[in-house]
Parts: sequence; C-alpha cells; structure tokens
Amino acid sequence: MMSTPTRRSRLRHRWARRSRVGLACVGLLGLLAAGCSSASQDSASQKGPANPKDLVLVQAIRSLSNPYHAEWAKGGEMFAASVGMPVQTLTDEGDSQRQLTQIKQVLASGKTVVLNADPNTTSDTQAIVRAVQDAGGFVVSQWNKPNGLTPEQVGNSWVAHIGFDGNTGGYQTAKALFAAMNNTGGIIALQGILDDVPAKERFAGLQKAIAETPGVQLLDQQTAHWTRNEAFQVTQTLLAKHAGQVKGVWAANDDMALGAIQALRAVGLAGKVPIVGASDAVPEALQDIQAGDTGYVATVSTDAYWQGGAGLALAYQAATGKFDVATASPASRSFYGKEFLVTKANVADFLKTPTPTDLAPDFANPQARNVGPLQ
Amino acid sequence: MNTAVTTRATTGSPTAVPLGRRVLDAGPVLALVLLVVVFSLATSRFFTLPNAASIANQAAILLVLATGATFVILLGGVDLSIEGVMATSSLVTVLLAANDRNGNHLGYVAVLVGTAVGALFGLVNGLLHTRLKIPSFMVTLGTGAIGIGIATVLFGGQPPQLLDDGLRAWGTERIAGMPRLVIIAVAVLALGYLIQKFTRIGRYILVIGGDEQIARLAGVSVARYKLYAFVLAGTASGLAGAMASTQLGVGDVQVGSGQLFATITAVVVGGTALTGGRGGVPQTLVGVLLISVLANGLILVGIDPSIQRSVQGVVIVAAIAATAWTQRHRLRVIK
Repeated sequence: MMSTPTRRSRLRHRWARRSRVGLACVGLLGLLAAGCSSASQDSASQKGPANPKDLVLVQAIRSLSNPYHAEWAKGGEMFAASVGMPVQTLTDEGDSQRQLTQIKQVLASGKTVVLNADPNTTSDTQAIVRAVQDAGGFVVSQWNKPNGLTPEQVGNSWVAHIGFDGNTGGYQTAKALFAAMNNTGGIIALQGILDDVPAKERFAGLQKAIAETPGVQLLDQQTAHWTRNEAFQVTQTLLAKHAGQVKGVWAANDDMALGAIQALRAVGLAGKVPIVGASDAVPEALQDIQAGDTGYVATVSTDAYWQGGAGLALAYQAATGKFDVATASPASRSFYGKEFLVTKANVADFLKTPTPTDLAPDFANPQARNVGPLQ
Repeated sequence: MNTAVTTRATTGSPTAVPLGRRVLDAGPVLALVLLVVVFSLATSRFFTLPNAASIANQAAILLVLATGATFVILLGGVDLSIEGVMATSSLVTVLLAANDRNGNHLGYVAVLVGTAVGALFGLVNGLLHTRLKIPSFMVTLGTGAIGIGIATVLFGGQPPQLLDDGLRAWGTERIAGMPRLVIIAVAVLALGYLIQKFTRIGRYILVIGGDEQIARLAGVSVARYKLYAFVLAGTASGLAGAMASTQLGVGDVQVGSGQLFATITAVVVGGTALTGGRGGVPQTLVGVLLISVLANGLILVGIDPSIQRSVQGVVIVAAIAATAWTQRHRLRVIK
C-alpha cells in the first residue's frame, strides 16, 4: 500500500522536473533564436563586400553519379577557375539531413561561404538558406523552394532562387512528340515522383498539349520515380496492357525515357514509337536524338553547366559587392532560368561540352538567362 | 509406431511435417493464386501470354537476387549490400565489355568478372561477419556503401553504354517467346534449389539457422558455412547487376535502386523466416511471383499511381499476417 503513492509521487516529481527542464530548454532556444535573428538580420550587408581571400566557394548537389549533376559540378569548377579559386563540392546522395549537416560544417569553418545549392527537397530549402543567413554567407538555391517563401523574407544572405518552369518543358516536348505522331494516336506518360513540383508542372504542360490536340489520347500515366530501372518495368507492363495502341511515349525526364526505349526494344518497337523526355538533356538522350534510330524526338535542357557556373557566379557577385542584394528587385532574386527544347535541328549545340570561354558572358552576367519572375 | 518413427528419422523423409506447418507453407501460394484470380477477373488483359512474359521478365532479376539472399536469411542473417554490389558489378561488366568509354571487348568474360566481383563482395561480407563477429546487417550496410562508392568512381559522371550486341540481346531478346533473362533466372533458381536440397552447404545452412549452438556442438564448421552463404548471395547480386546492365544497355550506379527492399520482402513474404532455419528457395520463388504479379496487376487494373505503393504495402502486410497468424506463438520473429 505504501509503495503505490510513493511511486506515484516520485513519478509526478520526475515529470514535473522533466517538464521544467523542457520549458527551460524551449525558453533558451527561443532566446537564442531571437538573439541570432536580430544579430544576423543583415550581417551580410553590414560587413560590406567581402575580401575574395576570405571566401570559400561551395556547391551542394545530390551526387556525382548522374550526368546532370556531374555537369553542374563541372560548370561550378569552370567558374571557380575563372576567378582563380578552388570549389568544394558537397554530395548528399539524396539524404536531406546529410546535405544540411555538410553545409553547416562548411559554415562553421569561419570563412564566408559562397554556396550554390540544389536543395534535396522543397522543405530543405528553408533550413539551408536560414543556416547560411545566420552564418552570414551567400547562397543561391535552385529548383526546390516552398511556395510563398521569397529571398527577401529571409534576408540578404539568400541572394536568389532560380527555378525552371516545368509547364513549358512538358508542353513543348509533348508538342514535339505529337508532331512526330502526326497528331493522332494514344500515348503513355511516365511521371516523376508524384509530389515533386517539377513532376506536377511538366505533367500539367503535357495535359495542356493534349487538350489542344484532339487526335491524341492519354492511354495511361504511371510514376517511375525518375529512374530508368522502374521506367523499364512500368513501360513493359503498359505495353502489354495497351498492346498495339501505344503510338508515343512521354516521360518527365530523360532517364525514364531511356528506360522506356529499352522496353520498346524488348518488344521490337524501338524506333517505331516516338518518345520524348521533358527534362535533363543527358548525353545519351542527346546522342539518340542525333542518331534518330531509337525514336527519341526531343528533350529539354536547363543547361546544367550554366546552373553550376552562373549560380555560383551570382552568389560570388553578391559576396564581392558586384550584385547589390539590398537594392536588387524581387524579380532579379527569384526568377525562371532559360530552358531549351532540344530536337534533331539543334542537338549538335548541346552535345558539345562548353568551354570556359563559352560560359564567360554568363559568369559576367548571371542574370542574362532570367526569363521572368517565379510564379 | 516406434518403427515408423525410426524409419522416418533414418531416411530423413519430409512426411513428418505437421499439418499446421503445411498450411503455413501453403499460405503464400494461396495468396498468389488469389491475386491471379482477382486480377484475371478484373481485367481481360492480365491472363494473357504477352503479360505473362512481361511479368516473368520483371521477376527475373528479382528472382536471382532473392535466391541468393535466401541462403543468408536462412542463416538468420541479412544481406543489405545488394544494391551496392549490383552497382559495382554493373559498371565493371559494362566497362570490360565493348563500351563507349574504352577499348575493352571481353564479351561474356565481362559478365563472369562482374559476377566474380559480386562473389568477392560476398567473401568480404562473410569474412568480416564471421572473423570480426560484426552483425551481418552492419557489415553489409557498410560494404553496400563501398559498392556504391566504387561504382560512382567508375561511373565518372555519365553512364558508360554497353555496345556489345551479343550481350545486349540477352537483356532484350527472347527465345521461344520467353525473355532470355528469364531463362538465366530459372537456371539460377534450379541451381539454388539443388544447393539447398542436395549439398552439405545447403543442409548445414539450415541447421545453423535453426540453432547455431547445436550446429556447433554437432561439429559443424559454422563460420565456413556462413561464409559460403554470403558468397552465394554476393554472386547472385553480381550476376543480377550484369543482367540489369544488359537490359538497360548502360552501366548505372542506380541499377539496383529499390531492389533491396523488394528482395527481402520477396524472401520473407514467400515464407522464409527472418530468424533463419525455416523456408527455402521454392518459397522464395512464390514470394518473387507475388510481388511481381502485384506490381503488374495494379497497373493493369488501373489503380491510381499515387496510391499504388500503399496498396502494395497493404497487400504484403495482409499476406504476411494471413500466413503467419495461425502460428504466431511459434514465430520467434514476431517480437
């Protein structure tokens, strides 16, 4: 009988102590947050232009195991070489936590960080730019950004965000596909990860094109999670499901389109069914478009070299004072970069690796491909 | 009665399996039949020859992986290095066969080397696990990451393309209506079954998985047979990496993405216990078919892509629950 109330009171005591500690922690965190935000509100601009010697150039990308990010990294290296500095490349292998940790580590090094980042997911962008803001660095982010959050809201350390309008790419590739099908017949669509913004936009572009082309029907749409492997399997199933009816294949990126080609090849349809990828312009897709024997009609290039080089250049110009973030217009801080529809007519231009000379004008003016403010 | 028991014991006849256990073993088969019936009723396109070939083709690589993984899981271990081994083997195979990166053109030897690389990974897994006494999931998690790392270096920014037409034909062409990779997978399955059923390796792996202590007291060289199991699994992953490359026509780091989860699910859904000692290669075939039929059927029936994954998860959980609930108290895996 004695033990029960004792244990209960002990428990209650422990709980009370725990909640007090918890409250204290929350309070402390609040104070710290308030202190940090007020201290760092405009730490970047207060410091004035940084000395290039105190800067460290960093690019944060997913991995070097896909051609797109490998080109991005090369573009960044070309820019770094143009200003005679090294660049550090962080790869997160698709792990958001790892990406943030790596960025925080370089921020803690004491130098002023100039970062060009491809945040892993939409929710990572805010954490990354705030970490850079608190440390007084300079960051340009690309692709993923939460709707409604703008660089001006966070501060001058978030130099700019560059997006690409998936609607355009999805629409243009769809139109190229339909033209190759004489605007008649059924198509299947391979989507990216369904809640990714670019996946949604590109598919919306496709749907717009379908609505405009009465002869074309969407037989089926499935996700292949951006990967070649899954695209191969899904396409195989869809070809069995709609045997004889598939006259075209639309994929939200090149890797999936290339997987679909293998599935077409397995049933003897490669080269007979036109196919497009709505993004990436990976070398293999470009070669297929040039050769013309696999049915690959078109892809879209955001020019990964430009993304890696010009993105870093923009952050660098903000750090050195050439791009005055404090007075820059919102339209120059969140904007769409230029996309290029690649078909057989212009594919040769995209098969060449750009030289530093080719990219020099974009390094000097990273805003040259600003095609309009983000929607 | 007594004589009957003695006879059974001496001949090792499998008729001694109790009824409950037989029902348990039949569960996944019943689930598979049920799925096939449901999908056949739901759409006329499911039960057709082209679709059967498509399911078989999709199951081929998974079957090779799962056959290898079965041996490690029978031990009560797990091999998480599958995707990493596939990646390295894929790159090694393509870079040694005719490709657009260098002047090699070793043909089938490239596939052998790719498979051997898998065996080497298995050997390293087994040695680290048995000599250094590190739990298998930690060892293989590490070596899997090493595999991805090596593959990324070999990858060098863009996928090397496989230009050997003879090898590419293995990935895309058919013999008598059956995709060629399916023939390889069936051969691997048969080999796995023979190893499990008729060799000392197969029998001792089961004994060790059943109770390692008893196996050791009985004089079985536990470390050696564990090593064999990991080498079998590694070899299978290596071969699967090469097969996937012939199918996709490139050496790719992502060649095995998603296969680890599918492989372990297939083995376990088939009826091989994660604690080891029960199950085997035939059960794994059922598990592989269950998963492949499910993925294929959901697309044919036209389930919304955004909920397909959840439906797959629900069906798998239901299949495991339905097959296991009668014997819950005996399954040490449910903790």
